[in-house]
Amino acid sequence: MTSSSAATRRRLLRLGALLPLAWAVVLLFVPYAFLLVQSFWRVAGGVLTPGFTLDNYRRLIGTSLYPRTILYSAETALWVTGFALLLAYPLAYLLAFKARRHRDLLYFAVIIPLWVSYVVRAYAWKIILGQHGILNGLLLSLGLIHEPLSVLLYSRWAVVVALTHIYTPFALMPIFAVLEAIPPSLKEASQDLYAGRWRTFLHVTLPLSLPGVLAGATFAFVLSMGDFLAPQLLGGNDSALMVSNLVWSLFGVAYNWPLGAAVAVVMLGLTLGLLTLTGAAERRGQTR
Amino acid sequence: MSEPLLRLVGLSKRFGDVIALDGISLDIAAGEFLTVLGASGSGKTTTLRLIAGFEPPTAGQILMNGADIAPLPPYRRNVNTVFQQYALFPHLDVRENVGYGLRMRGVPVPDRENRVAEALAMVQLGDLGARKPRQLSGGQQQRVALARALVNRPQLLLLDEPLGALDLKLRRAMQLELKHLQTRLKITFVYVTHDQEEALTMSDRIALMRSGRIEQLGTPDEIYHQPGTRYVADFIGETNLLGGKVMALTDGEATLALGAAVVRAPRPPGAAIPLGSDAWLSVRPERVTVGVRGDARPERNTLDGVVADVVFVGAGSKVHVALANGTRVIADRSGDRAFAPGDPVTVGWPVEAGVLLRD
Repeated sequence: MTSSSAATRRRLLRLGALLPLAWAVVLLFVPYAFLLVQSFWRVAGGVLTPGFTLDNYRRLIGTSLYPRTILYSAETALWVTGFALLLAYPLAYLLAFKARRHRDLLYFAVIIPLWVSYVVRAYAWKIILGQHGILNGLLLSLGLIHEPLSVLLYSRWAVVVALTHIYTPFALMPIFAVLEAIPPSLKEASQDLYAGRWRTFLHVTLPLSLPGVLAGATFAFVLSMGDFLAPQLLGGNDSALMVSNLVWSLFGVAYNWPLGAAVAVVMLGLTLGLLTLTGAAERRGQTR
Repeated sequence: MSEPLLRLVGLSKRFGDVIALDGISLDIAAGEFLTVLGASGSGKTTTLRLIAGFEPPTAGQILMNGADIAPLPPYRRNVNTVFQQYALFPHLDVRENVGYGLRMRGVPVPDRENRVAEALAMVQLGDLGARKPRQLSGGQQQRVALARALVNRPQLLLLDEPLGALDLKLRRAMQLELKHLQTRLKITFVYVTHDQEEALTMSDRIALMRSGRIEQLGTPDEIYHQPGTRYVADFIGETNLLGGKVMALTDGEATLALGAAVVRAPRPPGAAIPLGSDAWLSVRPERVTVGVRGDARPERNTLDGVVADVVFVGAGSKVHVALANGTRVIADRSGDRAFAPGDPVTVGWPVEAGVLLRD
């Protein structure tokens, strides 16, 4: 190969590395920067007016609706995180240690729902939980209830159930990854040192899998906290709406983009703060 | 020998179609240092894993103090293991690692702490108790693994290539240290290695394994000087193997034809090597001398050849001599004379230095 063609190749490689960067700048950083800038604007007489005012943030803190909704969303996200971990951990354990022959198939079964449109999955819960839905039908035919329950759908719990279903794979993947990376000899060493299966899990497997649990919990929490479609479709009344629904209606119905932007910026800040914290916790776990 | 501490009876292990262990039987005395030596895939690690309880045997018994422990899980056996890659718990510090077994057995804290400190002092790691395994060198991790097993005062300690990851110098030092420790503590060691030098240095007895069976069991001296098969002679140390036909058998001697040449060797005791059968003669290089062709030789066995290589090995050199039929004979250099490739020479060795082996 001549040196000039090698140089061309290097230039091409550099260009190849620049493309994703350009993509991130154009599609992520620019919109976020614009969001931040707009959160200091105001709406005057129905017209978006550039400027610099902290009014949006003052209103955000001053009106109880916004902090309350953020807390409510966080609480919902915590429930989702808890349920997702309860489902994901045993499943990941099963996949990593017990399922020998069907492991790939099972892992595939966990991943495959991610290929189905989110809307379809959320709608599926509408069909299951609805007044004339599958669950009511089942309960009726079993004679457990005498008329269909309307509380199943359009409640916080419908949202929690659907979000748990949707985000459990995200919690599972990092847990599976850490479990799989634990050398089998560590469990053997523990058993060699008089610990039975349960104590081996408690003293070796569980502590070593905590970084994955933390990563999985972060995924489930952040993703469900920012979700707005499931609350929209399954939450029904206003009280079950989450903070993203609020942003959505501020940008849409209320035509108050600056306030919507301010709420979004606060959410972004909270999320980044959380990610920094869990990231630091994970790093500390590694150097311990 | 009194009642053996450990007794393997017809022990077999299959993994699917693969026979890893093919019915081995072996008695190990209390306080013995037994090395299970073999190439990879010979079944040595499988033997250890069966004794530890990590794998159930397909057939056979593992008798410890006369009772079959084969059905017991690892955590109910009075056996501890030093793992090949140490398998230290990365989330626990050195003290917690060493104290793990005592903690699981419910030894009260003050007693536990004393014994952990004692074990760490024994392996000269007294001041590193607060470190995490990742902050230790390979040699230090090895010592922690040893302390973690010994602190439980097991009747039987299993060691799976414990020095395999260390460099040569450290490995030699640790070999001696391990041997001293074993003698002092009077704990029975079953030591798995593929390193024949390690086996010769440390063991009371060696079980040399080949394809799931014990090829030969004996003291290092027996294994080295009286190999039972060609495989053993070849595996242990360096040796010259000369293939030929048995021409004559007298009371004490066998005569072997190597092509046109004839050599003699002690007739193997008991072993039936019939007249006219193919056999191998094993002669260690340190017993072979080289001289200028035509000079008078003190030995009765001599073969003519040409120097092919002279290899410097520090303390001396090794002379590789090519015989007429192409076979090479290696001799540790003795005498003052220097040889160069191409020199016509004669190699020789005393009759009693040879061991006659069936294929």
